Amino acid sequence: MPGVLELQGLTRRYGSITALDDLSFSVPAGEVVGFLGPNGAGKTTAMRAVFGLVDLDAGSVTWNGATVTQAERRRFGYMPEERGLYPGMRVREQLQYLARLHGLGATRAAAVAGAWLERLGIADRAEGRVDALSHGNQQRVQLASALLHEPDLLVLDEPLAGLDPAGIDAVGDVLLEQARAGRCVLFSSHQLDLVEHLCESVTIIDHGRLVVSGRVDDLATRGQRRLVVRVEGDRDGRWAQGLAGVAVSEVTGGAVRLVLDESVDSDDLLRTAMRAGRVNEFVFERRRMSEVFREATA
Amino acid sequence: MKAAVIVLVGAAIVAVRLWLRRRSRRGGTATRRTAGHEGAPLLGDVGLVAGREIRERVRGRVFRVGTLLILLGVAAAIVIPTLHGGPPPPQRVGVVGTLSPRAQAAVAAVGASLGTTVHLVEEPSRSSAGQDLRAGRLDVVVVEGRALVVAKPIDPSDTSTTARLVRTLAAALGLQQAYQAAGLSIAQQEQLAHAGPLPVTSLQPSTPGTTRTTSVVGVILIFVMLTQYNTWILVGVMEEKANRVVEVLLSALRPLQLLAGKVLGIGLVAMGQAALIVAFALVLAKAVGSDLLHGTAPVELAAALVWLVLGYAFYCWVYAAAGSTVERQEQIQSLAFPLSLPIILGYVVALVTAGSGNVTLFVRVLAYLPPTAPFLMPVLVGLDRVSWPGFVLSVAITVLGTIVVARFAAGVYRRSILRSGRVRVRDALAGRAG
Repeated sequence: MPGVLELQGLTRRYGSITALDDLSFSVPAGEVVGFLGPNGAGKTTAMRAVFGLVDLDAGSVTWNGATVTQAERRRFGYMPEERGLYPGMRVREQLQYLARLHGLGATRAAAVAGAWLERLGIADRAEGRVDALSHGNQQRVQLASALLHEPDLLVLDEPLAGLDPAGIDAVGDVLLEQARAGRCVLFSSHQLDLVEHLCESVTIIDHGRLVVSGRVDDLATRGQRRLVVRVEGDRDGRWAQGLAGVAVSEVTGGAVRLVLDESVDSDDLLRTAMRAGRVNEFVFERRRMSEVFREATA
Repeated sequence: MKAAVIVLVGAAIVAVRLWLRRRSRRGGTATRRTAGHEGAPLLGDVGLVAGREIRERVRGRVFRVGTLLILLGVAAAIVIPTLHGGPPPPQRVGVVGTLSPRAQAAVAAVGASLGTTVHLVEEPSRSSAGQDLRAGRLDVVVVEGRALVVAKPIDPSDTSTTARLVRTLAAALGLQQAYQAAGLSIAQQEQLAHAGPLPVTSLQPSTPGTTRTTSVVGVILIFVMLTQYNTWILVGVMEEKANRVVEVLLSALRPLQLLAGKVLGIGLVAMGQAALIVAFALVLAKAVGSDLLHGTAPVELAAALVWLVLGYAFYCWVYAAAGSTVERQEQIQSLAFPLSLPIILGYVVALVTAGSGNVTLFVRVLAYLPPTAPFLMPVLVGLDRVSWPGFVLSVAITVLGTIVVARFAAGVYRRSILRSGRVRVRDALAGRAG
């Protein structure tokens, strides 16, 4: 049953290092949530905590408001950062085995394993050993192992790492499809453009602490508005000099990039530009996820 | 007949293999479960893990080749002695001069006592008898009923039929001469000839050689199998940790379920292999008439199997816990030796005790300690030097010890299996998981 995953006050110390520092955030149903942070920020520790793989110093993980039980964890799907499969086991058998560990009967396990092998384009390797597969195909098998039992929650640690563009598209499609089916999807990645493309919301942590959390659209438009204007015959942006509440941050190739105060009316600004000449471009600029990330973790 | 039985045993092994393979293909469809799974029995998941272990191990080349080699070794140990056995060759005794009917009867009686037949060959002269001896046409020559001649000196340690015939014949004919020289009547000579030894009673019960053989075979089997299967557990746990599949498994299972499934699966493979070896040995020994397993009371064989199970149950937890603290092959090697010390101690003391029959206080103490009892107790049973209450007490101590060790090992495993790299003793004993 779809629900809400909540991490509340997670704290984990390793000696003098604090991996998680009172970390709290939630993953709502039907959304793809990007989980971002620099290396060593605590993403993997937090994800492992969801599955009880880490003994916490403080905090709790809840599902629909109650502490996660073992039975509920079976209904979660997990793709760890350090990929783990039995290298000598045959691909199909491995998937069937993992499906059965998640509570599927033998017949159903065989059916879903076959379906995912087809879906991810590795059906022809189903009877081969896992260690005979390429890195990318092993990655696909690993992803399939997290999806076999139609999990209520999907937690994927760096699922895009090491994939070719086709593989990235395939994984991205799967994540969106899972979210559309009403499931919770949490995944970590350093590929910020893809995160921006795939996620409805992101959570950014640093040194084990939450630094930014919110919807991608809100984060992209939060703070001072930025505007790119191109006026014919005014390659240096002289028209914008000295306007109240308007700062020229950059002039490149005939386009001027402006930062607007809240008091500035963009309609007035457009009229001012039009008086200076023909306006070829007048675009509000969204903040890239990489900018949000750098600001948050600076 | 022998060949037919060997073929039958081979066919039985092939049938078992095919059955196992078909089961592995079927993937245990009999135990279908529904999605959702809440409230599923603990053994359901343990059984799944055990089933995977059994399928993968039995399918592995190491197991197949290893089992085949052990069976070949057992077959060789049983069949080869019977090929060299059989009835002793008939003996040809040359007679120079006359040999009294009484002496001829003595020669035949000596031959019969050695389980062989004796052919008397009259020789015209001592020189012709010497020629036949040298040519190998005769085994021994009796000269005038007063002296024996052989081709080569007979070593006192020589146990060949000819050597034993010569020694016994020399004594028997010498006695006959002495009786005659003493002037004894025929009746008196008959009386003396049938003199039997006095019965000798020992304060300690006797130890038949075949029983010792059985207990030694049992101890060797226990040692080989404990070493092999404990190593499987050690390496298997280490590999699951090293390739991080454990992270995926433990997202759905509790550590104890994974651990229990692994030791159960490998244990069932071990017991299956042991049962196959014992059954193969019994059938083959019976078929070829080997005396290797003769005199084996069923209880002694059962005792060896009981202690194989108990020994595995005790050590499997120790090896699993040790495997969870390392993640590289060279780290395994540094662990394997200290872990195997109590096994080697028990094994060596057991073999020495079985060979000497000398049960010291040290041996008795070891027979009641869980790490060494699996080796010493079967030997004490083989030597008939332990009472039923003593046997049961040792079993109870080992079971209790196993429970304590399993609880301790499960804690070490839980704390260590999710930590990367080699886990320090302090963290393994009292740290936290992950």
